[in-house]
Amino acid sequence: MSETVLDISDVSSGYGEAMVLRNISLGIRPGEIFALLGKNGMGKSTLLKTILGFVPARQGSIRLFGEDITTLTTHLIARKAIAYTPQEQTLFQDLTIQENLRLGLRSDHGFAEGLARVSDYFPIIGKRLNQKAGTLSGGEQKMLIVSRALLGSPRLMLIDEISEGLQPSMIRHLSEILLAERKRAGTTIFVVEQNVPFAFSMADRYAVLKIGEIADEGVTGDEPAAARVQEQLQL
Amino acid sequence: MTALILDIITTAAILFAVSAGLLIILGVLKIVNFAHGGFLTIGGYSGLVVTELGLNPWFAYPAATIAGVVLGAIVERFIIRPLYDRPLDAILATWGLGIIIGQLITIIFGREIQFVQTPITGATSLLGQTYSFYRLFLILAAALVAGGIAALFNATRLGLEARAVIMNEPLARGLGINSGYVRFVTFCIGAGLASLAGALITPLSSVDPNMGVPWLVNAFMLVLVSSVSLVSLATAAITLGGAQVLVSTYISPVIGGLTIVVLAALLLRIRPAGFGHG
Amino acid sequence: MADLTTATATLPVRVASTRLRFVGSIALLCIAAAVAGPYFLDSYTVNIMVRSFLYAAAALTVDILWGYTGILTFGQAAFFGIGAYAAGITFTYMDFSPQTAVLALFAGIAVSAVVAAITGWVSFFYGASPLYVAIVTLALPIIFVQVLYSGGTFTGSSSGLVGYNTFDLSVEVWFTICGVGLVVLTTAAWFFVNSDFGRLLVAIRENEQRCTYLGIDAPRIKLLLMVVMAMIASVAGYAYAGYTVVVAPEIGSFVFGTELVMWVALGGRGTLVGPVLGTVAIDVTSAYLSGNLPYVWKLIVGSIFVLVIVALPQGIAPVIRSGLRRLWSATSRRIVAPMLAVPALVEASEGHRIGTGSDAPALDIADLARSYGSLKVLEGVKFKALGSELLGIIGPNGAGKTTLMRCLSDGFERTNGTVAVFGRVIARTPPQAVVGFGIGRSFQATSLFETLTVAQCLRLARHRLDGANLLSQAPTLALPESARHVITATGLDRELAIECRHLSHGMKRALELAMVLALEPSVLLLDEPTAGLTKPERTLIGGILVDLVQRTGLCTLIIEHDLDFVREISTRIIVLHQGKVLLDGSVAEVVGSELVRTIYAGGAHAEARP
Repeated sequence: MSETVLDISDVSSGYGEAMVLRNISLGIRPGEIFALLGKNGMGKSTLLKTILGFVPARQGSIRLFGEDITTLTTHLIARKAIAYTPQEQTLFQDLTIQENLRLGLRSDHGFAEGLARVSDYFPIIGKRLNQKAGTLSGGEQKMLIVSRALLGSPRLMLIDEISEGLQPSMIRHLSEILLAERKRAGTTIFVVEQNVPFAFSMADRYAVLKIGEIADEGVTGDEPAAARVQEQLQL
Repeated sequence: MTALILDIITTAAILFAVSAGLLIILGVLKIVNFAHGGFLTIGGYSGLVVTELGLNPWFAYPAATIAGVVLGAIVERFIIRPLYDRPLDAILATWGLGIIIGQLITIIFGREIQFVQTPITGATSLLGQTYSFYRLFLILAAALVAGGIAALFNATRLGLEARAVIMNEPLARGLGINSGYVRFVTFCIGAGLASLAGALITPLSSVDPNMGVPWLVNAFMLVLVSSVSLVSLATAAITLGGAQVLVSTYISPVIGGLTIVVLAALLLRIRPAGFGHG
Repeated sequence: MADLTTATATLPVRVASTRLRFVGSIALLCIAAAVAGPYFLDSYTVNIMVRSFLYAAAALTVDILWGYTGILTFGQAAFFGIGAYAAGITFTYMDFSPQTAVLALFAGIAVSAVVAAITGWVSFFYGASPLYVAIVTLALPIIFVQVLYSGGTFTGSSSGLVGYNTFDLSVEVWFTICGVGLVVLTTAAWFFVNSDFGRLLVAIRENEQRCTYLGIDAPRIKLLLMVVMAMIASVAGYAYAGYTVVVAPEIGSFVFGTELVMWVALGGRGTLVGPVLGTVAIDVTSAYLSGNLPYVWKLIVGSIFVLVIVALPQGIAPVIRSGLRRLWSATSRRIVAPMLAVPALVEASEGHRIGTGSDAPALDIADLARSYGSLKVLEGVKFKALGSELLGIIGPNGAGKTTLMRCLSDGFERTNGTVAVFGRVIARTPPQAVVGFGIGRSFQATSLFETLTVAQCLRLARHRLDGANLLSQAPTLALPESARHVITATGLDRELAIECRHLSHGMKRALELAMVLALEPSVLLLDEPTAGLTKPERTLIGGILVDLVQRTGLCTLIIEHDLDFVREISTRIIVLHQGKVLLDGSVAEVVGSELVRTIYAGGAHAEARP
């Protein structure tokens, strides 16, 4: 069995006394795109925050590239060739696009090469380097966040609800870019989403989170899966 | 009239230099360093040591800065770091530290007022007015300090990371920035700046173990009114410093000493952001 | 049931008398010590201790302000100085007589009260940072000393005033007077901080924001407290001037002000007895040691102070106390435990609810907007809500739901638009005033008071309507039927004496709900009341809410992420998306809506916010 990139084992976590996640176990394989789906408030973002150490895991263990990171501090986890695009508070509003991008790398070494690559994906980014991030439109900000994450060619990407509020054409473009990155560099991608078609357009496997527990999981190729998941997320 | 304007500019320059270190510590660490007065005093006494050793008085400035940085490193590690999420306790602990510094200096150097040798003496004639060379030099010094800080924050990688930590520490950590290290370095720089400021102001008067204390409250009020912006600090220094000079000249020096405190308190009551943005 | 009520009703009374006896006997012992002291101690010590007693009184005021209420103040020294200089100046220029003695005392008190009121007005306002307060109170003694200097020979400038005629009393008599005064003050203070009002102060320290949303005017309470504490410090200063026959700027300086804070910190903030004993101990020791090693002693005290702040933030007293407690465990259990009285719950006389019988809608919101600079969080929000409606508010993250709640409960929050409750428009007023309009709001993240018991939290919620005893704990607690229903249905009635921090998450949410209901609101705003609850807990709360709305006609707005839950209990649903109202209709309409479905399940057509 090939080594898992991310191994979440029986993890529970939450805020204060509220247990948001209960006994979650997931294994993400190298080079795969994995989608975690669920409605608002079900704990999806909390799982990503727990992986990164923003929220401590009350029980269980998390292994990244084979190393136990359960109690490791956030900034050290963030340095391990992973990129995280949070859902809220994603950018430094008063810093320029270039400055925000630079912070996606540990040092300015290799910035030029990375910038060239992401400017290919998102031409606008390359053209407006000195503009303040806070003045960008919502969609442009999302492009910037994804660019920042792709800059350092991370081995693992954790993406939290990136499609929310984007135009359909933009969503399709994102899907293509992520698939292209996976093909180019074998990047493993863990996507957290409510948008089922978007998730299924990229993912190999999926899981559904409901009130803090995994309610369903499987392979996306399986025909009835999409419809079944869509129904689980219904209003 | 010229003398008055020059007084205002030099007072503003001095206030800026004295407050700058405090500002960057408040911005990055979100902590008020009540030992600031103590670091000023250390800077002053570094100048005294240089004088007593018979060295060139210009050595006072680097000596003070180094003393401040080294002491700042120790203080950050043992006093500031444990109080990361207790900002009011940090005020108290650093105040206690200020007392410790004052007592140590008294024990080592004695209570009396002493004098430091000035690197620049004499006066010059400027626009029909004789004015102290040293005070004019202080304008240059303050400008250099401002320029140095600006360069550090805007042109270095560390400065970029510090600005990120000021704006949003969790996001910065999520991007791999070791905010603990950034805080440490910032505190050392802030302490070094405070010491340097102490060395800069002593030739104007004298040194004594409590010399930092009167500057403490004024520096705080200026920093609170500047809302973590160097530009706002400069604005505040000119506005409130100017008010202090005017009141001291036309009403009384004693009341003048209160101007900054009273005006800043009222300003913050009306507009909590002071001279800065919201 | 009747037996239980009578049994619990007598318990508080029994407990109250036990407390009175215990505290009373300790106080009497101390008074005896104050009277007998001078015969056992040498005259130097007696001399010093008179001064220490007066410092301790000042330290007591600092502890009440800082230790209990969370107001870090360096300014009490200024009030001590005002009281002292009132005496010094009066006796120097108007000589000493019974009339001038009384005049000086009241002059000192009056001036202190006015200065404290101004300071309070400047420092305590909704949204003030505690840092700002600390700096303003630091400035007070500085200003005081500068005023003294500028007074020239009238105030004695830096050397002060000396040698005026004063009370003709021996040192021993002074010792007894000041000692007894300190004991009486400390005893009164003890009853004060342990009363219902005292719990209010602790609540303000722990979570001032929550207090304002319970209708408690925290800024005003802090201002009044500051004025009273200033008056007490002034009296202590007056006695000091009368005793030492010297007034110098040092007694009103900020060095003294910070020393007071240090003594409180070392003695144990929030323990009352700790600061008093600590001040006396440190001051007497200082007097002895500083003769020999003046600077080293100050250095030692300073170092211990820093150590205590960093490593033992609660000071030394609690460490000693817990050590003693372990030695005396049996005795203390019998004495301390019965002091945690539990009030008996009684029916509140309803009729406080605003808007019953009014024709206007419970909530009328027009053109509500909230922006931060160019970022628009809410835009053009407009809807009406009536009594007996359970309005579910849903929407994706960042849609503006919590911001909407804030705009409804805090008059300063909105950028534009109007909010009217039963026809009355909410002006730019802080949350405590908005509660008076009938709005009760609960919080998304549990926002309670860690060290207060369930009963004390509920009493807090009743403060606006029932007030609070200043020196005792009321034996009964009046709650409206809705709140009592929540308490009994969730089992909270068996946990009235438990401190909030020991409650389970589900119980905390229940308490939060009960507290909001205790306000007797006409409009209930609930922000994710079931977050983190288990399924059975959710069902219980849901049932209570539906029942409440139907029986009492309460207009309720509820933000929720659990869409199944919302669908089950709501009568109407509003969907927010990117700050605007996307849809406002019945449950069936919203659930069946294609637009809403796409928002939630992906493939949104809506353009990203420009």
